[in-house]
Amino acid sequence: MRAVLVPGVLALLPEYAGLEDPVAELRAACLDAVGWLGADVTVLAGPQGRKVAESLLGSRQARPTAESLLGSRQARPTAESLLGSRQARPTEVEARPTRVDGASYLVVGNGSARRRDTSPGYVDERAIPFDADLGTRLRTGELSGIDASLARELWADTEAIARLDGVLPPGCACTVNYEDDPYGVQYWVVRWEW
Amino acid sequence: MNLTNPDCVATIANVQSMWQPLKLGHRTYTDGLPLVMAIVNRTPDSFFDQGATYAEDKAWQRVRAVVEEGADIVDIGGVRAGYGPEVDAAEEIERVAGFVGRVRAAYPDLVISVDTWRAEVARAVLEQGADVINDAWGGHDPDLVAVAAEYDAAVICTHAGGLSPRTDPFRQEYDDVVAACIETTVGLAERAVAAGVDPHSVVIDPAHDFAKNTFHSLELTRRIGEMVDTGYPVLVSVSNKDFVGETLGLPAGERMHGTYAATAITAMAGARIHRVHQVRETRHLVDMAWSIAGRRPPLRAIRGLA
Repeated sequence: MRAVLVPGVLALLPEYAGLEDPVAELRAACLDAVGWLGADVTVLAGPQGRKVAESLLGSRQARPTAESLLGSRQARPTAESLLGSRQARPTEVEARPTRVDGASYLVVGNGSARRRDTSPGYVDERAIPFDADLGTRLRTGELSGIDASLARELWADTEAIARLDGVLPPGCACTVNYEDDPYGVQYWVVRWEW
Repeated sequence: MNLTNPDCVATIANVQSMWQPLKLGHRTYTDGLPLVMAIVNRTPDSFFDQGATYAEDKAWQRVRAVVEEGADIVDIGGVRAGYGPEVDAAEEIERVAGFVGRVRAAYPDLVISVDTWRAEVARAVLEQGADVINDAWGGHDPDLVAVAAEYDAAVICTHAGGLSPRTDPFRQEYDDVVAACIETTVGLAERAVAAGVDPHSVVIDPAHDFAKNTFHSLELTRRIGEMVDTGYPVLVSVSNKDFVGETLGLPAGERMHGTYAATAITAMAGARIHRVHQVRETRHLVDMAWSIAGRRPPLRAIRGLA
């Protein structure tokens, strides 16, 4: 079984694509990790995180190439098509998953958005130790007891991460593919296999 | 354009589908984005710069500056549009042809347009590597499009209201100035294609101020979307013109803000090529307008999205 953690970064969504990619390195790590999951993927995420997860999973399908697009000539598009297809927004968080042999989990979550004065939530001195602790938990798979109340205060998205508790077996193999806070929000891309 | 975002490819593709490819000589644009054409006068008497770039070294500095400021195209002219001393074809060729060759050699990727109504001049500059003939006097020389076709060059088809070159309007009226511009420019475009010009290399220009009073040019600006709807790429040349000056009561050197307003409105409506004096400002302005219109993604967006 495999599981992947990606952050719920809205800049990963096609509808928010600029000409230059502000999260190119993160995107590459996410796509590589999501491509490593099996076909049967259970998404653990809140509503916004689910959009990111589904977008990344959709990218595993044939992504249109520049060449194929350059060849296409259609009638004038509608405003909707120009702005990109927007997926329906799920309203419920997934129920706690059960173990399924061969299944994969795609988890959406991240650390604090209050790490420094340029962070979206400005600075909270508790953020960096909180993220350090969360990083250790991700590596060891010890995900019980994350302080959900503190996480909310620190603008961290840990609800889906906490739901991996009981899914990951003790000591399962973990690889951290990305660990950085380029915009003052702590991101990880992590793979687990057991 | 430097595209680094894979998701942006899909958005750009949607934008592209609004437009046919635009082939300007050696360059073909398939991205549907707006283009800035910088005016480079090799004239001693043009209305805006009063001959500031007549001398070759000054014109050369101007080309270097506008390329640095983000111009996609330079439009080199050797004859003032308004009244003035006679400039015959030989003198016009002397002013522009060699200069085109020099620009071509130094800037192989730059699109070079030459503002001329004469087939003879067109041939001379196309021999030197020009990409576009800006026929600002609306088909006055019927042989011009055949020459453009011979060199696989683009042509800008302009509404000059039937006036001879370098003639000001006098009591000219229209039942519908926009309809007249469409009829004339589309007619010229069809004639160009019939003469062998690539259909993707034909641009139409209503020619603000040419054979038009200020009310006509304001109406053209307001209704430029009707020209865009013809499907031909539209060039607008409003830069510092008299209709801006008369509207605001300002002399030639103080019309840039009025020009920017007209440029923004025509860009919003989809006018594709903007022929201007102020390049850097226009680059920002048309890119911004294109993005507001939903045809160009922001360069790089992370605010609220991290």
